[in-house]
Amino acid sequence: MTEQVSAHKDPVVIAFANEVLDGFSDVCRSLRYATFLTDDGFEVASIAGDEKQNRRVASMASSMQALGDAVAKDLRIGGAEYIIIAAETGYVIQMRVPEHAMVLAAHFDAAETVGKALSVVRLAASNMRTLVRDKAA
Amino acid sequence: MAEHVILFAGPMGAGKTTAIESLSEIETIRTEATNTDRETADKDTTTVALDYGEITVSDEDKVRLYGVPGQRRFNFMWTILKERAVGLILLVNNDAADPIEELDAFLEEFGELHEKGGIVVCVTRSDVAPTPYLDKYAERIREVMPGRMIPVFTADARNADQMRTALMSLIANIEMTAMIAGNQERAA
Repeated sequence: MTEQVSAHKDPVVIAFANEVLDGFSDVCRSLRYATFLTDDGFEVASIAGDEKQNRRVASMASSMQALGDAVAKDLRIGGAEYIIIAAETGYVIQMRVPEHAMVLAAHFDAAETVGKALSVVRLAASNMRTLVRDKAA
Repeated sequence: MAEHVILFAGPMGAGKTTAIESLSEIETIRTEATNTDRETADKDTTTVALDYGEITVSDEDKVRLYGVPGQRRFNFMWTILKERAVGLILLVNNDAADPIEELDAFLEEFGELHEKGGIVVCVTRSDVAPTPYLDKYAERIREVMPGRMIPVFTADARNADQMRTALMSLIANIEMTAMIAGNQERAA
């Protein structure tokens, strides 16, 4: 879980995140917004959204992830894998990038099934892990 | 049994998480993430949502202790938690680049809690940075919140006795505020 340079300041990691997000939006038309963020709430890269919104979503997603982790820890059910927020006109899924202090948060409209959305989020997080891991190797 | 919700606010690295750990009778709930902002505070982790602890005082009053993240990018958590709180312990680390400016910023953000119950200021890390002295804090508080009684202490967030003194001072203020409000209601 240690990056030498913080992910949000590392141009290579930012480029990887943009690459993954581009592919992400290609395979899922119901995707409205997505962002990679550091565990402590800094935006690494985003698709859609303005700069202010991106920073705010990164902070909120970081807090949500930490609260999810805290609940899972308190209930002794292991680490929180993902979080889903279902609303009237869409939902947000966020998932940690495995082995890294990074999270992917994605907003889908209501047309998408949760299963499909979860599947593409998992794929994107996994792709990000592979890119960052290969860079480190 | 009365219940009080007390917030612990202040800049990153002021000792909010540590203060709640010092005071809490239960295992604290922490939401920490790896800190990638070493320029602001050179520590491994940082609170990104809240800290939570509990303490019982006077045999019957339960006090819920909530710590908020110090960074402004988490100010949505400030808004959420401020609504429930009746008092504030504002911790300012004396070794911050400009601790008086930090005091100003947090009083501006959380000053309304004085009307809800009370505020106490705890100056931490004065062992590593002896200045500014407490009178500078008191002077600034008088300037930005004139006519308000806001005690200022030096405190070590790791020291349960010192933090308890600050907390009891705040609770006394909260109860006095409630009593005055009750008297005014009865008189009206």
